[in-house]
Amino acid sequence: MAIRPEEITNIIKNKIEQFNTTVDVSEVGTVIQVGDGIARVHGLNRVKASELVDFGNGVKGMAMNLEYDNVGCVLMGSDQQVHEGTTVKRTGEVISIPVGKGVIGRVVDPLGNALDGKGPISAEKNMPLDIVAPGIIDRQPVKQPLQTGIKAIDSMVPIGKGQRELIIGDRQTGKTAIALDTIINQKNIPQNERCICIYVAVGQKQSTVAQVVKTLTDFGAMDYTVVVSATASDPASLLYIAPYAGCAIGEFFMWQGKDVLIVYDDLSKHAQAYRQMSLLLRRPPGREAYPGDVFYLHSRLLERACKLSKENGGGSLTALPIIETQANDVSAYIPTNVISITDGQIYLESNLFLSGIKPAVNVGLSVSRVGGSAQRKTMRKVAGTLRIDLSQYQELAGFAQFGSELDKESQRQIERGKRMTELLKQNQYAPLKVGEEVLVLYAGTHGYLDTVQVTDVLAYEQQLLSYARTEGKKVLEEMNQAVELTEDLEKEVVGLLDHFKTVFKAGK
Amino acid sequence: MNSSKRIVAQRYASAYDALSKTNEEASQRSALLNEVSAALLTQQQTMESPRLSLQSKKQAVRAALSGAPETARFIELLIDAKRYDLLPEIARRVEDLLDQRLGIIRAQVFAAKQLSEAQKKQTQDVLAKRYGGSVKAEFITDPRLLGGLKIRCCGEEIDGSLQHQLNKLQEELTK
Ligand SMILES: Nc1ncnc2c1ncn2[C@@H]1O[C@H](COP(=O)(O)OP(=O)(O)OP(=O)(O)O)[C@@H](O)[C@H]1O
Ligand SMILES: [Mg+2]
Repeated sequence: MAIRPEEITNIIKNKIEQFNTTVDVSEVGTVIQVGDGIARVHGLNRVKASELVDFGNGVKGMAMNLEYDNVGCVLMGSDQQVHEGTTVKRTGEVISIPVGKGVIGRVVDPLGNALDGKGPISAEKNMPLDIVAPGIIDRQPVKQPLQTGIKAIDSMVPIGKGQRELIIGDRQTGKTAIALDTIINQKNIPQNERCICIYVAVGQKQSTVAQVVKTLTDFGAMDYTVVVSATASDPASLLYIAPYAGCAIGEFFMWQGKDVLIVYDDLSKHAQAYRQMSLLLRRPPGREAYPGDVFYLHSRLLERACKLSKENGGGSLTALPIIETQANDVSAYIPTNVISITDGQIYLESNLFLSGIKPAVNVGLSVSRVGGSAQRKTMRKVAGTLRIDLSQYQELAGFAQFGSELDKESQRQIERGKRMTELLKQNQYAPLKVGEEVLVLYAGTHGYLDTVQVTDVLAYEQQLLSYARTEGKKVLEEMNQAVELTEDLEKEVVGLLDHFKTVFKAGK
Repeated sequence: MNSSKRIVAQRYASAYDALSKTNEEASQRSALLNEVSAALLTQQQTMESPRLSLQSKKQAVRAALSGAPETARFIELLIDAKRYDLLPEIARRVEDLLDQRLGIIRAQVFAAKQLSEAQKKQTQDVLAKRYGGSVKAEFITDPRLLGGLKIRCCGEEIDGSLQHQLNKLQEELTK
């Protein structure tokens, strides 16, 4: 591209001509103390809570504590340029973030600055970070399924659009993997039902976030995904606002009638960042030294997930918050809080993960309180007894360990359970379409696997899928679309499975 | 100085201010307290020395302030309550309270060059009209402004300086 100096000069000249030289009046205060990302400011008498204040040199802050003779502000950047006596200006605004189509495919920080080096964000407008969640009138019940592409979840803990489903588990149990697979799976879904995805990284390592962005890019998922990142090296204030920033971006699309999926990875670190800020602001500590309003911190965030009514365009915002537990303890303060706020949880257990059951979903403790009504009828039909079968199996398996003689029925249940457990295993980055999930689970629950060796179950699944994708294309396509498993369709499925029996090669 | 100390200083200041019935009394007392505070600052070593007993320190203060028994007692009280270190802050706050009594508004006017008397008067008049009260402005020269005025008054900053305009222009162009 040829650069024409005259043109540039003209643009600059124009800008200078249009520049209005008004005198600015602003309310000011002075910093009396600064440290640990917190500044105490004298003056600013009329500042409002959560108002954005300007410390100059591009450093902004947020007024958190309005006290008798000073204002406690958290700095949204480095405190190196701020010192005693620095002038602080009111801005009269609350923190907001640029939103719009231009944000999709980008990696941004919680203030809307690009982190991916692809130039500034072109925004449609600015949305305040912290707004009140839509009221009862604005909403309708959750009724559409959100497909994660993960067999264990879509069948037993189904998620509906507009739901809040917690992913909880120890470190390194595949929490992020589930969220990422769900995002990647949106690619499998027709454009009109596909969710716009937002991945909010709170307090994670830069390398982890880079890895996530790379994975999403490799799978082509960045076309409909926004990554909001506040890493471990950012100030606590940025970690604190990151989920709200992500939520604001999502809400913009939701009010346009779109479906949005937002992942908060993870809210434990969010609570810790807030605890740090609160303690430094000298707010009184409560249980586990968290401040008293830590419940409200998360409830006001998760309440913003919703399914809007038809009059409002019918958009939805589904939230998948992630919580990290210590030693599988779900009764700690933050986990219990978030469990009580959300509409269910996917409980990942390190024992399961280590014994090779991945995704390590603990079926007994995982629930979805509203997703059931949103589940597809096809899926509900095949998965109906799955949960009970599996828990019965686990109970019986306990007995069987003692080597006691079991009756035929129990033995059958154990054999079935073993195969179903095997069948529910799923690799990372390999989400399945609904039709495929239903087909595989149908085979399992209708006894097609009973004659297959347990060690061959994975091979059976692989071969069945590739067989169906080539030979049974039509049936599979129908199953992807079908809302209900009609008799005709079921016959076709049975036909496909029966025929596959003759093709299946065990021991491969 | 932390928040609780500032709050305490404010309480002592308003108590001291409340001693005076009339404005004249108040301004005399305020001036005296300022003087004492400045004088005692030069004697800091003596005042903080652990070798002298509290009693002897108080006696010294009483002797020095024989003409103003209330002020003397106030300082003694500060020594007793171990709040002696707050004295400069208290003196400043007493001054602020005096300003409030007299309806005086303090302003800081920054200019790139020394202003002429007429300019100073005009600035004061404009400020008096804007804020309603008699304005006592402190004029400060700051060559970094390049031109124009920057005024700080009543928690507001009115910035018409060239420096500020250039900063804004820079922001605009680099956006
Ligand atoms: N279904 C799966 N199959 C095989 N490997 C998996 C599966 N899910 C996760 N993993 C692997 O397990 C490891 C941990 O996964 P992941 O990073 O998702 O866990 P996490 O709970 O988010 O960890 P952290 O606590 O560090 O955030 C990763 O190396 C990932 O590749
Ligand atoms: Mg993770």
